[in-house]
Amino acid sequence: MKNNKTAPSNLGALFNKKDTIIAIVMIAIIAFLWFETTKFEKVPDLFSNNIPPEMFPQILLLIILGMILIIPFEHIFLSKSGKNIDSARSKPVEKSTIGTMIILTAIIASSQLLGAALTIIAVSISLPLYWGERRLKVLISYIIGFPLFVIILFNIILGVHFEPGLLDLLKN
Amino acid sequence: MEDVAKGLGLLLEFENIVLILSGVLIGVLVGALPGLSSPMAIALLIPFTISLDPVAAISMMAALYCAGTFGGSITAILINAPGAPPAVATALDGYPMAKNGEPGRALGLAAVSSVFGGIFSLIIFIFAAPLLAKLALEFGPAEYFGLAVFALSMLASMSGKSSLRNLISGLVGVLIGTIGIHLTTGVERFTFDIPDLEEGIHFVPVLIGLFAVSELFKQSEKLNAVVERIQAKALRLPSLAELKKLKYTILRSSGIGTFIGILPAEGSTVAAIIGYNEARRWSKDKDKFGKGSPEGIAGPEAANNAAAGGAMVPTLALGIPGSGSTALILAALIMHGFRPGPYLISETPEFVYAIFGAMLIANLGFLFIGLIGAKFFSLVAFIPKKLLWPAVFIFSMIGSYSFASSMFDVWVMLTAGLVGYFMDRNGFSAAPLVMGLILGKLVEESFSQSMIIHDNNFFALLESPVVLLFFVLTFLSLSSPFWTKFFSKK
Repeated sequence: MKNNKTAPSNLGALFNKKDTIIAIVMIAIIAFLWFETTKFEKVPDLFSNNIPPEMFPQILLLIILGMILIIPFEHIFLSKSGKNIDSARSKPVEKSTIGTMIILTAIIASSQLLGAALTIIAVSISLPLYWGERRLKVLISYIIGFPLFVIILFNIILGVHFEPGLLDLLKN
Repeated sequence: MEDVAKGLGLLLEFENIVLILSGVLIGVLVGALPGLSSPMAIALLIPFTISLDPVAAISMMAALYCAGTFGGSITAILINAPGAPPAVATALDGYPMAKNGEPGRALGLAAVSSVFGGIFSLIIFIFAAPLLAKLALEFGPAEYFGLAVFALSMLASMSGKSSLRNLISGLVGVLIGTIGIHLTTGVERFTFDIPDLEEGIHFVPVLIGLFAVSELFKQSEKLNAVVERIQAKALRLPSLAELKKLKYTILRSSGIGTFIGILPAEGSTVAAIIGYNEARRWSKDKDKFGKGSPEGIAGPEAANNAAAGGAMVPTLALGIPGSGSTALILAALIMHGFRPGPYLISETPEFVYAIFGAMLIANLGFLFIGLIGAKFFSLVAFIPKKLLWPAVFIFSMIGSYSFASSMFDVWVMLTAGLVGYFMDRNGFSAAPLVMGLILGKLVEESFSQSMIIHDNNFFALLESPVVLLFFVLTFLSLSSPFWTKFFSKK
């Protein structure tokens, strides 16, 4: 924030490092998507009324590309109006957030095997424990009570189909 | 009048009233819980309301939307943590008033101003929506394209750090809308040989991911945040003398809020901030602002609730969402088989009047719920995050899955959550993406049809004065950061 109001004195200050990385990643994605549009099935002009299926996505990609090229320098304009684009990302992503992402991805990956009921129980156990909830009475009542409530509400009352998963094996 | 009576008749079934009041209750609860928001609750509600009668489903969401805006002010006043972004300005004077020993008075002022703002905007809605729809019935594809481009340009001025990033988010949303089979030619686009992508990306898992799951990741950073709460025994309604003093502030803010709400993409948060600033500008007691000024509560509260009603005007009359929440209501309308826009009002006016009635009931409902439940709602903010957010994730999973009984949608939800989290960190808002996603089909369809009609000559579009007007408005909207600076210097 110190030098937000001063004009950038060298080339390094002209670019925002994080935004430059974002711009490069997004340009790479755009290039890939553009390449994909060239692989769309070709349709006779008469059939497509001269509006081929790739036309609209390509126009969008070009406009987005034009905007992305400004992103690395945008911090200069933003700082002039007192906004700091780096405020939310000044600190690295918290370990607890990365851990949460991993846990949830793992649970969803195994949900087909676990089935709905066990997946709900897995979320109810793993997240509070990982986030540091250690009050045993609270935990036990939550782990039993909440999944039960969800299953009764959605499966029994609202009729949402819950995959049995592993529970089916136990039944058999 | 006959349509109004029919609409109210549709609404006044016992089941519908129960659902509307449930919507109000959920709205106030969600609004009062910091981190949870009305768009998130509507996104979670959509899959479970698909099987309901459309009147009941949309009325419930509209009620939730109105009540959620008010709910946010409860925690803004009692714990200085706005439960929802539109209540940010309310905290500036609401919390100091509560700290000065008058929490009930602050809540009462917020509730009455909200109700007034909400009802004011509904009166405008009932007159403006049919007029706007009548006008829009004359629109051809070119005019619709112009309107959609204007709506997309308005995303730039949505709340968020950067107009440019809002625009990029909106266009990415439109691009995501192109995934799947192209309707005109039947060609698969961006499907990568994944059968689940042939139908395109469903709205629901994307909405849930962007609003609920990304917020869960954000909340996981601040699990141990401690908040100080002020005890509120009950909500105290303002006296007639006090209301007399505030009448101009409330009326002005209601007008501002309704107008801002009607503008595509402008939401309650912007309305509340302008409502607060204008209340201060016109006040005789400017010094009291920030220290518990009643005008500092009435101004933003009337404005943010008026914006909620105002935002329904373009949503229902034009099919252009007025805010993030109305974008979700629009998505729900599409899922229920309606075509939002002028035809909705001309062909099923009773449906629109039923939604109007639901919002009216919601406005009175949250006053009643606020009166009897202020103490309870101030307590819900203290539900431990470590237990609340796993529950939100479970609802998100079930909501995404149950929409099409597809695990693929659950993966889409998680991916949208991860993308939404990193977007937010880097200054890209989720709301413009959602609006782009919902407007995407309209933009492409109207663009293609206009091009066919005008023999692929883009400049021929400008022959229509309406298209020209929308393009001029688009230019003004995109260049607003420059000219507002120019005029403010003068």
